[in-house]
Amino acid sequence: MEEPLYDVFARKERGEPLRHVGYLNALDDEMARVYAWKTYDEERWFEMCVIPRSAIIPVNRTDGPFATRGGQS
Amino acid sequence: MNAETTFKSVQDMDPDAREGLRRAILSLADGKRMMGIHYSDWLLGAPSIETGIAASSMAQDEWGHARLLYAMLKDFGMDPAVVEHERQASEYANPDALDQPLEDWAAVVAACVVVDGALSVALEGFSEGVYEPTRSRIPKMLAEEAFHDDLGTAWFRNLAGGSEEGRARLRDTVLSMLPSTLAWLMPGDEVGEAQAGSGLVPEGKVLHERFLERYGALLALVDVDLAAVEPDRDGWDSERGRGPGHPDDEAVARARGDLNRMLLVE
Repeated sequence: MEEPLYDVFARKERGEPLRHVGYLNALDDEMARVYAWKTYDEERWFEMCVIPRSAIIPVNRTDGPFATRGGQS
Repeated sequence: MNAETTFKSVQDMDPDAREGLRRAILSLADGKRMMGIHYSDWLLGAPSIETGIAASSMAQDEWGHARLLYAMLKDFGMDPAVVEHERQASEYANPDALDQPLEDWAAVVAACVVVDGALSVALEGFSEGVYEPTRSRIPKMLAEEAFHDDLGTAWFRNLAGGSEEGRARLRDTVLSMLPSTLAWLMPGDEVGEAQAGSGLVPEGKVLHERFLERYGALLALVDVDLAAVEPDRDGWDSERGRGPGHPDDEAVARARGDLNRMLLVE
């Protein structure tokens, strides 16, 4: 079963920038929400969100994990 | 229900209502303890690492909720440590559907939706009742349960739209769990009615309507007509508020933590 890749972003307090805290595989957005909350629970996050890796558009690099849409190199 | 008049202690309650509340809290606590055992069985062997982590986290949630609920029994003159660690399997009051291990992932998903869902509907009822400890402590549990519900629903949709075998297993397990779980959710006996009549929880039919509203469309994805399923009250055990069986001894030994307690040094 091929599961899409999602990136997880979070901030601890209002006003802080969102930072990348990890990634996960999930069959759909709803599962990605739950997996993110249950996996990256080491902090009391003020805000957390997940983004499908395929939705990230690379801007200035041709290498690195975000360089190719979907994270596939 | 008159939500303006609340009870800080069960000592101020009518004895029949108090017995109904005691039974319901114990049954919820045992349900959560057993639900946690079943989730923990799937820390390894879940369909993905992420799912296993979620199962682990949900097990911790359930055990935390059980611990809080057992602690509420102090108000009834019961010793929570005795309740947690010294009862036999035959005394457990969890919903019947949690008596046996969940044999496959479809059964885990079915239990997450049907049984964990019913536990949450019952908890939600308490949070609206007139007993203050349940009103104040349950909202946090419900917030955590919302993630269980989201995960169960997402997996249910996935399995319902997947292979014929997975769909059939899901449907069969749902149908096996529903009748006893509906009976547990709306006991309809004197103890349950005394409790509802005192405003401690909504009436059984209200909880049933909520369950239908929340899960009717989802269960229809595997051709289960939730509104047509009748509660099974055969052999009803009024003392425990459930059917006549009980969980197996091995699961209860784990719930009590027997092996861990053997290692304790006085």
